[in-house]
Amino acid sequence: MAVAATTTPKTGTTPVTAAPRTLRRRRPRPGRAVVNVLLLAVSLVYVLPLLWMLVASVSNLNSFRLALPDALTLDNFDAVLNVDTTYRPMLNSLLLCGFATLVTVVVSILAAYPLSRYRSRLRRPFLYTILFSTGLPITAVMIPVYSMFVQVNLIDSMPGTTLFLAASALPFGIWLMKSFMDGVPLVLEEAARIDGAGAMTVLWRVVLPLMRPGVVVVTIFTFIGMWGNFFVPFILLLSPEKLPASVSVFTFLSAHDQTQYGQLSAFSIIYSLPVVMLYLILSRKLGGGFALGGALKG
Amino acid sequence: MRSKLITAAAVTAATALAASGCSSGSSGSSSKSIKVVYWQNLDSTSKLQANFLASMVKEFTKANPGTKVNLVPVTASENDYYTKIQLMMRSPATAPDLVYEDTALINSDIAGGYLKPLDAYTAKWSDWSQYAAAAKTAVTGASDNKVYGVPDNTDTRGIWYNKQLFTKAGISVPWQPKTWADVLTAARKIKSELSGVTPLNLYTGTAGGEASSMQGFEMLLYGTPAGDKSLYDASQKKWVVGSKGFKDALDFVHTVYSEKLGPSVSDALGANFGTTVGTELIPAGKLAMDIDGSWMPNNWSSSSAKPWKDWESVMGEAAMPTQNGQAPGSTSMSGGWAWSIPAKAGNPDLAWKFLESVQTKTNSAQWNALNATIATRTDVASDPTYLNAVPTNKFFTGLVADTHYRPGLPAYNQVSTAIQKAMESVTTGQASVDKAAATFDNDVKSAVGDDKTVKGTS
Amino acid sequence: MSTLTTAPPGTDGDRRSRGVPPAAQSLLRGLPLLPSVLLLAVFLAGPIGYCVYYAFTDMQLTGASGTHFTGFANFTRAFHDADFLNAVWLTLVFVVGSAVVGQNTLGLALAVLMEKAAKPVRSIVNGVVIAAWVLPEVVAGYLMYAFFYSQGSLNSILSALHLPQQNWLYTLPILAVCLANVWRGTAFSMMVFSAALNDVPQELTEAAEMDGAGPWQRFFRVTLPVIRRSILTNLMLITLQTLSVFGLVYTMTRGGPGNKSQTLPVFMYQQAFQNSLIGYGTAIALVLLLVGALFSAVYIRLLKLEDD
Repeated sequence: MAVAATTTPKTGTTPVTAAPRTLRRRRPRPGRAVVNVLLLAVSLVYVLPLLWMLVASVSNLNSFRLALPDALTLDNFDAVLNVDTTYRPMLNSLLLCGFATLVTVVVSILAAYPLSRYRSRLRRPFLYTILFSTGLPITAVMIPVYSMFVQVNLIDSMPGTTLFLAASALPFGIWLMKSFMDGVPLVLEEAARIDGAGAMTVLWRVVLPLMRPGVVVVTIFTFIGMWGNFFVPFILLLSPEKLPASVSVFTFLSAHDQTQYGQLSAFSIIYSLPVVMLYLILSRKLGGGFALGGALKG
Repeated sequence: MRSKLITAAAVTAATALAASGCSSGSSGSSSKSIKVVYWQNLDSTSKLQANFLASMVKEFTKANPGTKVNLVPVTASENDYYTKIQLMMRSPATAPDLVYEDTALINSDIAGGYLKPLDAYTAKWSDWSQYAAAAKTAVTGASDNKVYGVPDNTDTRGIWYNKQLFTKAGISVPWQPKTWADVLTAARKIKSELSGVTPLNLYTGTAGGEASSMQGFEMLLYGTPAGDKSLYDASQKKWVVGSKGFKDALDFVHTVYSEKLGPSVSDALGANFGTTVGTELIPAGKLAMDIDGSWMPNNWSSSSAKPWKDWESVMGEAAMPTQNGQAPGSTSMSGGWAWSIPAKAGNPDLAWKFLESVQTKTNSAQWNALNATIATRTDVASDPTYLNAVPTNKFFTGLVADTHYRPGLPAYNQVSTAIQKAMESVTTGQASVDKAAATFDNDVKSAVGDDKTVKGTS
Repeated sequence: MSTLTTAPPGTDGDRRSRGVPPAAQSLLRGLPLLPSVLLLAVFLAGPIGYCVYYAFTDMQLTGASGTHFTGFANFTRAFHDADFLNAVWLTLVFVVGSAVVGQNTLGLALAVLMEKAAKPVRSIVNGVVIAAWVLPEVVAGYLMYAFFYSQGSLNSILSALHLPQQNWLYTLPILAVCLANVWRGTAFSMMVFSAALNDVPQELTEAAEMDGAGPWQRFFRVTLPVIRRSILTNLMLITLQTLSVFGLVYTMTRGGPGNKSQTLPVFMYQQAFQNSLIGYGTAIALVLLLVGALFSAVYIRLLKLEDD
């Protein structure tokens, strides 16, 4: 469990060892207090915009200023919580992004294993190609994708759009997954192999459990990207009842309609909830968010 | 393990194909059903058209049993809406049977080969003669003179002014300027008499988009002596560059912003300033004059987000004067939307039949009254229900006589962007009027080609 | 990513596949790649191929019906287009400012400081920084717009502190979008560095401390050299991510005012979809792809140098 030992218990070990060290060796430096204050100041800056969103969503004042409301109201939530604006688009989003993330993660894991473990002349060109393609703005390819989807009759199809979303997230997913897999040492794997386990068994039983943080990072990264993707589903789905929340959110939010800050904020919160929940659930399984960096090393 | 995964992949693929097979049925159209695509904005008026069309569909399917009309609203920004319908119109499998477009875009889509000429239909439709000539021009192909759409609404532009502020500044109301100079005189007077009040809003800059071009610049440009030939000379089929009128109009913009007769430059150049003008500055009595559209009351009606019931008594309307008061004395710009049938539509005959039923006199009047737009049918324009729907309808309908439509050409988009850039640079003072005009000339030449431009004579 | 450049830690699959000919064996090993290759080939490679073709044509979404091959005309046009050059410049500013300097430095600083901070403080920092990261891009853009807006939170705070206010989105839009991207993206770097710092052997820092090295010296002489590979890898990933950022900028400023925050993805979108110039737009996308490849090549080269 070499890797687990270096990644997961970060929460516990580092501060415990770091703190006594400083205390023991030197006078109690003001350093630590400064560090704490500094970090709290950064947190404050970070939290302000989030705070504004929370306040604006229940405030009766329609303002971009961060101000305490005269009265609290749930009208904003009432206004957006209906089938057309929220429920159906959110369900579509969950279906599209959920399945697409699943496909991306599973396919990336499969692809990452040979890329991380075996030598081949094709490996490096393949890796570089997918690495470079992560810089491509996906909006650029949507015109040919549309034509292609029309030809193969995948236009306006949820599964088709799901597969495209999955494919568009794959380059980054594979690359990241492979990097994490590189951090998993071979010792245990070899032991399992000596016992006669096949490559896939080794991958699933030995390697994956050791790189859970990496899988979580890829999962969240993929899901966030898809959840916010507006253009792909907008182009590939025609029926309004199939469109995910990102499409209306994008129009809604980028219009900056100044008469509806409250509703926009309420909508933003509802729209962000699934991603936040996903993060909380996945990171809880790893004992807090600290281990998410996993073993991504050069 | 591996075989399980392969099975899973196969199942996924199979589901995808099966589902796509199902969906293909809904995207095409059979002989008894049509697909109608329109733009649904997310603002307070979002449901107006949806509800209106739904009632039209009900009426139509009742009169024509066995038919089916699928309404497909597209929720997106205006530009993304166009991207989407243009993609849909590229292939027979996804092309709608009826599509709703801004008239400014129609010529572009004609050139793209997306639309079907409707002459065969209009020839047999007696109501067609009721449509105003200018409105018909807006939906006529520039190169082949064929009709490509039925316009269902238009708009005009003029000067909205605050009568209370005018009286306070000592300007008598009702007020009707005769020349551009009259407008500036009034603005200067307000600036010196009233503090905390912005004298005049003139939309400017690229963030304002088409509002800057149309409400801001073209309201000036088409009022110069060259009139209808000030931006595009239809007889020569060439874009006008290097004209004196263009510089005069830019100079007006420069005067407004350099003398601080307009909003602060940073506000004016911000995205969405239009909403601020309509929902905040005007109702709060902080803006004395606003060159804006006939639709402004939509901001203040009881169904809007911030109703303002005093607007009828506070706000006055004046026509935009021509530069020196030359004939016809006033000018205006018009846009509007129209229904068209795509070239690759599966069921154009039924689509036309539905369109006819939506565009009867009664239904047109109802629609124009409902969304506070100006009528395109002359019989509707004199209809009391329409005229009484919004108190300003009579005034703005009157402006139709001297209105102008933008050149409905594919290149207009790029020319419009060039106009906005020129405006922005004189608004900020980054460039002189001469330099901004020269940049505009270059931009236009590189967008449409040297041979498609002509030097303006006035 | 040591395996990217040096020999991979080759396991000896031979044990299992004794008797299987080498060619068949490598096919077998490559089998798990199949689903990804299929997906990538069908959904990405094909369309990208088309895009390369479009980039050499005058294809328009509307306004003209035919598509003609025009050679390098789109590229020539781009390099004579002041707006394009401006977009390239702003993209570099955006990538260097918000990713290479912003996210990378702040992420490292936070990770280092958090090692020394009290536990509750650490939880708070983690919570808020990651919260900004998991928010959907549009929402982040909207919040940042509200924050930097002339009547927004930032200015109300500045006025409360009696500091001069700014109309950030007008006077310094590129700075505003850079800061927004730092706000949104730092979490990733922070997590990468937290993990990397954790792997710095304690004996090393302790030995340095024993030798009388101060905290700065320890950081620059011991910690930094140990985690340099993580830094390079992180730089490469966030550079590529930042290059294609579109939603955040578009939601905040739409590239404006004028073209003062018009990065390449925004410029591409406006040319391709607002001006309907598909050919020109895809040519710009290819340039963007090239810029990304150049950046990655530099990082890969640096990583390679590390190995020698």
